[in-house]
Amino acid sequence: MARPMVMTLFPDTQAFAQRSTDAQPALSVRNLTKRFGNEMVLNDVSFNVAEGESLVLLGPSGSGKSTTLRIIAGLEQPDSGEVILHEREIENLRARDRNVGVIFQNYALFPEMTVAENIAFGLKIRGVSSRKRLEVVDRLLEMIGLGEQRNKKPRHISGGQQQRVAIARALAYEPEVLLFDESFSALDPHTRVGLRREIRQLLRKLRVPALFITHDQEEAMELGDHIAILNKGRLEQIGTPQEIYNDPQTEFVATFLGAANVLKGEWQDGLICLDSGYYVVPPHEAFDIHITDGERVKIIFRPEDVLLSTIVGVAESPYHLGEGEVTEVKFTGATEAVTIRLLNTQLRPSRPQLVTSISEPKGKEFFIKALRTKWDARRIRLSPGDRVSISLKSHKLLRGEC
Amino acid sequence: MNAVAYQNSSVKKKRHFDVAKPAGISLVVLAMMPLVIMPLLSIFIFGFSKGPIHFWEALVNPAAIFSLKLSLITSTVATVCNVIFGLIAAWVMTKYEFRGDSALMIIISLPTAIPTAVAGFALLLLWGPFGLLGRFLEDTDWQIMFTTAAIILANIFVTFPLAFGTIKPAMENFDTNLEDAAETMGASRWQTFRYVVLPSLRSALITGALLTFARSIGEFGSTIMVSGNMMMKTQTAPLYIYARYNDGDVEAANAIAIVLAIISFAIFSLIMIFRKRLER
Repeated sequence: MARPMVMTLFPDTQAFAQRSTDAQPALSVRNLTKRFGNEMVLNDVSFNVAEGESLVLLGPSGSGKSTTLRIIAGLEQPDSGEVILHEREIENLRARDRNVGVIFQNYALFPEMTVAENIAFGLKIRGVSSRKRLEVVDRLLEMIGLGEQRNKKPRHISGGQQQRVAIARALAYEPEVLLFDESFSALDPHTRVGLRREIRQLLRKLRVPALFITHDQEEAMELGDHIAILNKGRLEQIGTPQEIYNDPQTEFVATFLGAANVLKGEWQDGLICLDSGYYVVPPHEAFDIHITDGERVKIIFRPEDVLLSTIVGVAESPYHLGEGEVTEVKFTGATEAVTIRLLNTQLRPSRPQLVTSISEPKGKEFFIKALRTKWDARRIRLSPGDRVSISLKSHKLLRGEC
Repeated sequence: MNAVAYQNSSVKKKRHFDVAKPAGISLVVLAMMPLVIMPLLSIFIFGFSKGPIHFWEALVNPAAIFSLKLSLITSTVATVCNVIFGLIAAWVMTKYEFRGDSALMIIISLPTAIPTAVAGFALLLLWGPFGLLGRFLEDTDWQIMFTTAAIILANIFVTFPLAFGTIKPAMENFDTNLEDAAETMGASRWQTFRYVVLPSLRSALITGALLTFARSIGEFGSTIMVSGNMMMKTQTAPLYIYARYNDGDVEAANAIAIVLAIISFAIFSLIMIFRKRLER
């Protein structure tokens, strides 16, 4: 052991609480880079996890999130970069010397050991006496509510129970960080939601830093104090769930976490010429920054931020995007989903007034997805073919190709 | 569609008496009678034909007892060696990719294809008095051929791939996540192997050991070449059966044959049990 183990009896939150007074992040990953052959799996990834905080690495498969976890756990070597766990550089340590707890995707419980033996394994390896091991196992079993299953083999308990055992097993030796590798994906939705809540409460209580790996945005929102979005080995954005959702910095972030409309085009003479050949009016803030003609821009907005009105040309919110034609209305219960074909907005040559015209698009037409509350749906009833004015309650203007 | 077709076929089977079924079963049983069942029955019938006392006397003959003991000991040693070897070989062949790994795989599996007499002969040519290596032993006190060591060596050679063959698939099926898990929990390689890998391989190890032992204890072809077939010295149970029979002492041969058959039945039943566990 590179570091003397403080073997307090679990769940003694003292040790965790003490660490949390430090201003230093509990886990710090710096400039992590990893290639498999020619493929760049991780490209200069850096992030911190504060004491007692949970960070979710969210990304599609192949984004490098699992590799990041395996590097932190010591199961994979980075090409370059540092992993710092409680001010200790660990990237060159063997996995067994790092004192991390990993909850694997399939839980990786030892099939030939009982539930109790699984939980005790980390302590047994550390040479803890059998009497103390028993005490810790008893407490953990009580905590996860599986006291009666203690002598069962993992295959004889349910998936949710296996998950709890995996967590108890990782907690038993008081790791300095918990790493969850897609740990909920194998569970049925009902069990998953319940377990997530339990784990969230448990982590709050123990104040042990945790890193979750997932591709499930709902899971990310619920579990993460912070979310880091990974795409093709790059960290696109890191922030609180609110920040990520409300203020996405890239198109990928906007579309991966939640649904989003993305209008792409280029700046032309004070209007945005969309790739379809249609024009839309830019948002106000576009005029505060200098955008040159021909520069690529994107307007990104969430379906629930779309405001529809039948009075053509009247802006109901800060940003009036233009006009459209309803093509589909779908009632889904709590909300109504409306699809609108965006129409062309042009400047009438004689007067600087905006008009909307229907003309053949040059490229693929843009269809806008809107979500309306029951209240709005009842107030302004829409059906396919209706002309509507489209305003946005909230939007994001991105420059360049990001 | 499928369901309908299936129903039709089952109806058809019920309506028409299918001659092929009873005829097929009878044919198989009839073939088994002279090939397997009757020969096995006859050793028991002949063995006990002159009463249990004769059987017992043939059995407690010192040379008979010695041959049984020798067979058990040499088979046990060969089994232990080949299980350990099989475990290591399976580990290497599963974990690592290297140049020539398929060639090594063929060499490990080769002994199954080689006739046992050829195997014994090959050992003689290597370790025998004029053998490639044996000639260097000639002037020393160390002798391998015509000793217990030779029998063990022949057994190892002949049963070489058996344990490996059962352990390797089990090792391939082993979830490497478990090793990762053990490692992150602080286990060393040895601890991981000892507490996590080995318990998962238990059924495969036992099956492999039983197969090796069953094959060893009945080994004749290679043993007769390398052992010298010396009574009370290097005569194993199968050699004893052959020698007694050649001397016209059918009862003595028969008594040991019965013991060997019973041991084989027992091992076979155990193998069936552990095979089932392996499949689980």
